[in-house]
Amino acid sequence: MGAEVAQIGAFTAVAAHALCLAGLAAAHSLAGRGALVSDPAHALRLLVVCEAPLVIVVFSLLRRDHKRCSFLKAAARGLLGLPIGAFLNAFGAIVLGAPVGTKYWMATTYWSSLMSLFTFVPAACVFGASKVDWQNVLSHSIYCTSSNVVDYMISAPSHGAVIGAWLGAWPMPLDWERPWQEWPICVTYGAIAGHVIGILVSLILVVAHKIRVRVKAD
Amino acid sequence: MAAPASRRRGFSLGRSWPLLFVAILALHSLAIYLFTRGFLLTRTELDLHSHRDDRTGVSPGCSSWPQPAVDRLVIVVLDALRFDFVAPSTFFEEKQPWMDKLQVLQKLAADEKNSARIFKALADPPTTSLQRLKALTTGGLPTFIDVGNSFGAPAIVEDNIMHQLVKNGKRVVMMGDDTWTQLYPEHFNKLFPYPSFNVKDLDTVDNGVIDHLLPSLHENDWDVLIAHFLGVDHAGHIFGVDSTPMIQKLEQYNEILEDVIDTLKSLSTPGGPHENTLLLVMGDHGQTLNGDHGGGTAEEVETSLFAWSSKTPPDAVLSVLGENSCNFDLHGKEVCVSTMQQLDFAVTVSALLGIPFPFGSIGRVNPELYALSAGTWDIQKTGINACTPQDDLEAWKKRYAEALCVNSWQVKRYIDQYSGSSIIGFSAEYLHHVAELYSKAQANWSEVLKSTCPSETAKGEEFKESASSALQLQIDAYSSFLESFAKLARSAWTEFDLWLMGTGLLLMILSVITHAYILVRLNAVYQPSDQECASSRIITKLSFAFTLVMIRAASLLSNSYIMAEGRVTNFLLATSCIAGLWSSAVNGNFNIEEFIFLLLNIFARFGIELGMSKQIAGPTATKDHPVSIICDIFGSSFCNASVDIFPIISLAIVTCIILKLITYAVHQRFLKYFIMSGTILSYAFIANHWASESTLLSHAKAVQQTGRSLAPRFVYAIGGLSLVISALWRLFAPVGSLKFNERITSLSAAMLCSWSPVILMLLGRQGAFVALICITGAWCIIMLQQKYQKDSKLEITGSCVANPVSVTQWSLLAICLFYLTGHWCTFDGLRYGAAFIGFDNFHIIRQGFLLSVDTFGVSHILPVLSLPFIAIHCYNTVSKKSKVKDVTINILIQVHLMYGLITAITTTVTIICVTIQRRHLMVWGLFAPKYVFDAIGLLVTDLLICLASLYYS
Repeated sequence: MGAEVAQIGAFTAVAAHALCLAGLAAAHSLAGRGALVSDPAHALRLLVVCEAPLVIVVFSLLRRDHKRCSFLKAAARGLLGLPIGAFLNAFGAIVLGAPVGTKYWMATTYWSSLMSLFTFVPAACVFGASKVDWQNVLSHSIYCTSSNVVDYMISAPSHGAVIGAWLGAWPMPLDWERPWQEWPICVTYGAIAGHVIGILVSLILVVAHKIRVRVKAD
Repeated sequence: MAAPASRRRGFSLGRSWPLLFVAILALHSLAIYLFTRGFLLTRTELDLHSHRDDRTGVSPGCSSWPQPAVDRLVIVVLDALRFDFVAPSTFFEEKQPWMDKLQVLQKLAADEKNSARIFKALADPPTTSLQRLKALTTGGLPTFIDVGNSFGAPAIVEDNIMHQLVKNGKRVVMMGDDTWTQLYPEHFNKLFPYPSFNVKDLDTVDNGVIDHLLPSLHENDWDVLIAHFLGVDHAGHIFGVDSTPMIQKLEQYNEILEDVIDTLKSLSTPGGPHENTLLLVMGDHGQTLNGDHGGGTAEEVETSLFAWSSKTPPDAVLSVLGENSCNFDLHGKEVCVSTMQQLDFAVTVSALLGIPFPFGSIGRVNPELYALSAGTWDIQKTGINACTPQDDLEAWKKRYAEALCVNSWQVKRYIDQYSGSSIIGFSAEYLHHVAELYSKAQANWSEVLKSTCPSETAKGEEFKESASSALQLQIDAYSSFLESFAKLARSAWTEFDLWLMGTGLLLMILSVITHAYILVRLNAVYQPSDQECASSRIITKLSFAFTLVMIRAASLLSNSYIMAEGRVTNFLLATSCIAGLWSSAVNGNFNIEEFIFLLLNIFARFGIELGMSKQIAGPTATKDHPVSIICDIFGSSFCNASVDIFPIISLAIVTCIILKLITYAVHQRFLKYFIMSGTILSYAFIANHWASESTLLSHAKAVQQTGRSLAPRFVYAIGGLSLVISALWRLFAPVGSLKFNERITSLSAAMLCSWSPVILMLLGRQGAFVALICITGAWCIIMLQQKYQKDSKLEITGSCVANPVSVTQWSLLAICLFYLTGHWCTFDGLRYGAAFIGFDNFHIIRQGFLLSVDTFGVSHILPVLSLPFIAIHCYNTVSKKSKVKDVTINILIQVHLMYGLITAITTTVTIICVTIQRRHLMVWGLFAPKYVFDAIGLLVTDLLICLASLYYS
């Protein structure tokens, strides 16, 4: 299916990821040091507000079907995907034991929106409602079989974010009595770290893919 | 290996598979026995006793046991008396509702400073009543292993105060907690025991004590009176500290103590029966705000002791008592509080009563308690050393130093005897240090004796001072010897036998490796080698399951994770569900069961948090809980009503499901009708029992009575009967009458239906909710497993491999259920109340059995017995009928092996963890109970698997 889709270059991929990372960094510097620990809801809100337009714009530009789908339509898909993804992520977190209560629900909302930006929104912008593509992105076999750069760019960072958030939960039961052990601080750290690692992995995969293609062409 | 050979091999194992499980059980039992021997050490108990004439002609100065200082002793034991029940609230940061209730004690301590004092008494863990009573009377350090005996207290063989009292002609009267009569069957002149194990009963023991206490105070036929009240302990267990029953109990005690003190005062005139009586009001241990005790936290260890002497000692006593911790009480009077070790109690009481110190006591005569008794201030005139010091204080110090001299000699004698007779003694180096301290103190003593008994020439102020300071030095020397030995003893009686522990651990690891090897071998034999695709899927599943098990096992290495084990398990179960959902999303076909399972996880999670909040004290834990939020929205009356109605509704649903299961699974007609009627009857009785306990309906007394006590017994009887019937059917029914798999479903359904009403009964009202979760979870796992089996198209080869993820989920769900039912892995996590459903009296075997069924029922018995349901579905994928039995048996073996292996891995890691953390602060509070629960759980699982293999084979 990837044959007819226009391939994007490695440079574009780097630029796109760099933009997203820049959004995260900007939000972080705006919030200030330690803001996530002292006021997680506020810091998460800043992260979401800074990251959301960037992610939606970048991935709408990278949309799969340029002919049938305009930029605006892709952006609208992304905007719609944000609450849906947030709901799915929040549901997953609650299933896994995230605290529920009046004290937490703002933080949970912002956290799940951020997770949605890492995982659900890029795919929604790029693929829309294409079932096959979604299945592809979810599957781990995408790392060995895919021929499309955008697949790598979406799957690795989102898998990274989910796995990072999952691993980020492990310090929560410990009795260290540190403020950052509270929900959702360490989980957010885990998710961001996993996301960044995922981005690096996806860039490596993109480069490897390009080299493979060039070798094949030669 | 050639194919026919492998088939034959599998078949032969099919015949002898119960043997395999028996072997595993034996290996595990041996490993756990060895490890337990090494880890949970008991002190070697010496059955040597002190005698009155021990001291004649031993060493100068203190040639006899101390003279009696009090004539009579009244000990009022208030079980689980927290320190803040007695001490004025001004000693604490915040005044709590349960403080300042025992006003009479505070008033006395403030008004009569010379003769009354509040002590903070520090107990040693384990803080369970039996251990504490043993420690109070023997003056030793009972070790952890005795905790296991707490249900049936054995008589004490070591030397103790009671023995010495009887030997020395003192008459003892006891009233209250019947644990005393079990510990000391033949020591009391008069006794009024009341049963102590019915936790729900707040008043029987107390009322019994009240009936006998005041009349006994007027009698003259005793020297020591012990009155043991249990109400506070029971109120704590049932309602918690911050509750109305607790405050009512404390107020009741205040009145009783007021009466007791008034009586003693009125009879304490010179020549009266209580002229020189010491009253001790004390707790044996503290309790947490939830009313739990057993561990070593400050709340559990800090109890209080109040002492009042009817004869007032001279004012010099104040300089002995010191003013180290004084504060003003509510009425603006100054109250002082001293601190003592509970370890010192036995020897101090012996010194006061003038009886030989118990042989194994390692405490020190407590100066403050000793000084409170006026008798110790009487200047004694002994024939040889007739040089009486002028000063009261100096005379007392001399007397106290003499008591310490005997005390140190007795402890030294114990050390020598103990190191001589026990295999695991104390470390030689430290022992040497202690011996040195003793000989130094002893050498000093002879000097002091010389200097305090002045010759005619050396008199005057100068000398007096030097003598006083010499005495003080001597007291300090003895004290430092005694304290350093107590410290040594505290550390040494948790010494582990590393050899035995190592052997046990090694055996355990070996057994796990063999276990895994057999499983892999079985898998390999039945793995269709031509199905590459299927085998790769199985490997993914296997590694995922293995990862889950390993994460859970590794989490046990940290104490925080053990505390949060329920939540961690739930997290892993949810992870496995999400992974399942993820993989079916990749395949593009969603199952409704997966969503149900996820929702179920949410319910289970809140239930577990509710259970945990009982464990971790404080109102903060429950504040944000959704249940309390719902209660806030709808009001408390709605909440209470739903608490009463919800269990009945879910019980009805559970009954319907079980009946459906019976019609579907039991294929034999007689068995089906019998079990069905039994089930309906049992569930009707359960509903009757719950209704009789509820406050919503009002019924006639007779109905209530039958509901309370008869209904549970009927349920137990029906359960037992259907167990017997299904076993008989298994033995005598013709084998060929049913297909093999039908036979197995019938058998396991019969088994489940006979156990489940009993377990539900014991779990109480939460049981219905738990049962719903349990059934739904099991149903989801089974359905998903069937779908998986259909998808992976194994019918081509006619072979089946059990799905490791399902079994892992099964075991995770079982652990979740353990926590969901409000259990946790400490001894106060046992639901003692469950043992008394249907019975009021305590009987060790009956109540022990009910308690273990309650503890392990929903987490071990039901999951293991229902394992065939995961295995059995395979038959419809098998094409050739002749092979059905072969394949089914193979799957059954695999599933049981896997389940056993998962439990064994967790237990092994617990053992490793306990070995690593054996010096951890919380080893007795957390790791050791966890080890005991896991070890017992493993043995129970193994045993059940053995029985199941016999039953199904």
